Amino acid sequence: MSDQWTDRLSDYLDGELNAAERAELEEHLSGCAECSAVLEQLRQVVARVQGLEDRAPDGDLWSGVAERIGVAAPVMDLDDHRRRKQERLSERRFSISLPQLVAASVALVVLSAGSAWMVSRTGSLAGEGAMPTAANGTALVSEAPAELATSYDAAVVQLQLILEESRSQLDTATVRIIEENLLIIDRAIAQAQRALTMDPASIYLKEHLAATKRQKLEFLRQAALMAGAVS
Amino acid sequence: MDLADEVTQDVFVRVWEKLGSFRGEAAFGTWLHRVAINVILGRRKQLGIRRERFVDGERTIGQLSSNPKGAETAIDFEAAMEFLPDGAQQVFVLHDVEGYKHGEIAEIMGITSGTSKSQLHRARMILREHLDR
Repeated sequence: MSDQWTDRLSDYLDGELNAAERAELEEHLSGCAECSAVLEQLRQVVARVQGLEDRAPDGDLWSGVAERIGVAAPVMDLDDHRRRKQERLSERRFSISLPQLVAASVALVVLSAGSAWMVSRTGSLAGEGAMPTAANGTALVSEAPAELATSYDAAVVQLQLILEESRSQLDTATVRIIEENLLIIDRAIAQAQRALTMDPASIYLKEHLAATKRQKLEFLRQAALMAGAVS
Repeated sequence: MDLADEVTQDVFVRVWEKLGSFRGEAAFGTWLHRVAINVILGRRKQLGIRRERFVDGERTIGQLSSNPKGAETAIDFEAAMEFLPDGAQQVFVLHDVEGYKHGEIAEIMGITSGTSKSQLHRARMILREHLDR
């Protein structure tokens, strides 16, 4: 064994030698047990160090970094920091879960059917009060007194304004679902109104329009309540 | 807080300070790695003066490993890495731990590729004596 050969062993191990140098060294290794033993040890050194595991920091290092760069108050406890962040996020956002959406849809169907049933029972389209509710069963149709139609429109506008103002309190998906549902209800109202102009005496169409308008009002009220719940 | 934690914080503070100089020419991870290495090398230079009072590279390691009390007091493999001579240690870590090539190490450390190769071999030759510990 001599330095002439051993000095090349790391390069050999790393594939840094050219073909001629490699062949020359391999020829030497075949007849030199000492150099072969050193080569094996060098292999073990590389394997050993590459098997070392990274050590994670003992604790949260962010507090010190934050303090030095002056971007935020030091975070003393990472779990506490995460918990407070989650609380802040939940305060900013209000989302509706899928079960809640399903429950709301079912409620709307029930309310709609209920209002139609009450209209057909009373045969009356008029009612008292500014805003129809599930309790009084008031229905609104095209033949309603002007002041009632106006109060209905005013209630719708007021609720839409509340929703618009509270839009930032709702998450994007919820806003999209509300808008899609309102569009569907508005289309249904427009269809019922068109049908009524062609057949103004139809009790069924009157009931249907009343139920649909009521559905819109109730939907807006529920949406405004949800938005208002976090304000 | 130990030295590694201190240096880790130094790295992220430096990254924050240097963020404006990141031009996107390399992947952010690569850039961050380079910043980290520069911070570590800078810190090692500061500590080097202090280390030299106690350690004289191969000579010290040799003395420790040939301690007459035997394996009980002989340093183990990981500890031996800590006591490698500075240049050899840096090249060894950059090459065998971090996976840099000699050309890259030469650029980072301001040395030639040949020097990087010889320092690596030197480090490995020292550490092979500590494989069984």
